[in-house]
Amino acid sequence: MRRLFYLVREAWANMRINRTTTIVAVLTTAFTLACVGIFLLLYVNLRNAAGSLQEDVKVMVYLEDRLPGKAMQELERKLRTDRMVDGLLFISKEQALGEFRVQFPSESHLLEGLGENPLPASFVVTLASSFRSPDAMKGWVERVQTMEGVAKVDYNQEWLSLLAELIGYIELAAIGVGILLSAAAVTIIGNTIRLALLGRREEIEILRSIGATRTFIRIPYFLEGAVLGACGSALSLGILKFAFELFRQQIQLTGRFSGIEGMISFFPLSVCLALIMVGMGLGFAGSVVSLLRVGEGRP
Amino acid sequence: MDAIIQLIHVSKWHNRKAALSDVTLEIEKGEFVLLMGASGAGKSTLLRMLIGEEQPDEGQIFVHGRNVTKIRPTEIPYLRRKVGAVFQDFRLLPKKSIFDNVALPLIVQGASEKDIRRKVTEALRAVDVDHKKDQLPNSLSTGEQQRVCIARAIVNGPVVLLADEPTGNLDPERTREIMELFKLINARGTTVIVATHDLHVLNHVNRRVITLVQGVLLSERRIGQGVGV
Ligand SMILES: Nc1ncnc2c1ncn2[C@@H]1O[C@H](COP(=O)(O)OP(=O)(O)O)[C@@H](O)[C@H]1O
Ligand SMILES: [Mg+2]
Repeated sequence: MRRLFYLVREAWANMRINRTTTIVAVLTTAFTLACVGIFLLLYVNLRNAAGSLQEDVKVMVYLEDRLPGKAMQELERKLRTDRMVDGLLFISKEQALGEFRVQFPSESHLLEGLGENPLPASFVVTLASSFRSPDAMKGWVERVQTMEGVAKVDYNQEWLSLLAELIGYIELAAIGVGILLSAAAVTIIGNTIRLALLGRREEIEILRSIGATRTFIRIPYFLEGAVLGACGSALSLGILKFAFELFRQQIQLTGRFSGIEGMISFFPLSVCLALIMVGMGLGFAGSVVSLLRVGEGRP
Repeated sequence: MDAIIQLIHVSKWHNRKAALSDVTLEIEKGEFVLLMGASGAGKSTLLRMLIGEEQPDEGQIFVHGRNVTKIRPTEIPYLRRKVGAVFQDFRLLPKKSIFDNVALPLIVQGASEKDIRRKVTEALRAVDVDHKKDQLPNSLSTGEQQRVCIARAIVNGPVVLLADEPTGNLDPERTREIMELFKLINARGTTVIVATHDLHVLNHVNRRVITLVQGVLLSERRIGQGVGV
């Protein structure tokens, strides 16, 4: 009990004695991790956005003109029994024309001149949610395209695969920046611990002489590293949260992009906690590195 | 009687210069030994090897039944809990009270609060500084600080107590007091080895004297064998 108390107090004393270095270490770690956090936040939000965009994905299956009723029924049956299809809505030529008139009232005269209704009938297909990945959709579309009576299959594929590509790049960037800046954080904390170690050489000698084990001597420094990392990480989340709210407020004020306002969100609590744990791990790694480098704590 | 410390043909070189040459030596349980020799004779080197701080280049060393030349690094702390040491370079922690300084070896071992209180009080009483237990080391005189170091070295009840130049900075009166203290500790059953170049110490102790000259064990004489403290 007393031993535990002693170890915690030593770690605390280390941080108090090197107050300036400790504060600087926490601040720089916080800003470093905040940079990683921005990428992570972007990544998480884009993925969410992609997910909710895919919810809306509807595939238009346009039918050949003057398709006999029998062939149309057959096609409808095929589509309805397809395991990838969740819902099906038939839009007749007349309905299509009506919708066109509602959506583009000024252009409706274009159709007048053509005499006969040029718009095709179609099925609007909603795919089952488990088959909404760009690859699965592509495969399905290619299959349907070859079915009898199908003139053309249309969906916003380009858009989705572009988004998927973008998310891929951001993921890569997040990983790269994350590794680089995490190494920086480890170094920053490691240096702080090294200073603490060098300032306490004599004390460490004394501890060694009275039979303290290596572990006992090292624990305060491990603790210090972990606490610095956790504090830096928590602070970085604070900075991010602040910047995030500011961003959201700006969007609300300008009124632009009002659609995405409800879509963006901050990390959930569980992720925040995980990030603090990661910071703690980085700090711990920092103290391990500096203990190895200074070579202190040998028996 | 059993030998608690045994050196068998021990040699040690520092920068190609022999700090110890072919030293063979046996110290029995409960003995009080003065290790004499001029500065640079190899006294500190010998004591440091007894707590695994340095390893000999040749020969074997046994302490408390353990071959310290073959000891694993992880076992060294446990050896040091059995061998108390008062070395010149192991000072007190300036920001901790006298009590906390002496409690350190017990804290390190995870002793209970009750044990710590009892043993520290006992050790401080033995060296006669218990009335200053709440003060910081700097407010004590050099002699008193040295006593606190001794209290810290005996607080675990070690089987051997090593002291390297324990009277180095002390006047003759304090020197006498410290040597009396070692005799007292020895009388309670702890084997005591005091290394010093100070010939005046001989005035206060009439026990076994081992002399080193440039790393060679020169002579051994027992003064007043059989005479009590
Ligand atoms: N760490 C060291 N590095 C180099 N030489 C040393 C070291 N320690 C001791 N020596 C040398 O070994 C010899 C014995 O030193 P030491 O054991 O300290 O003697 P004493 O304690 O009797 O004064 C001396 O010549 C000293 O210069
Ligand atoms: Mg010496």
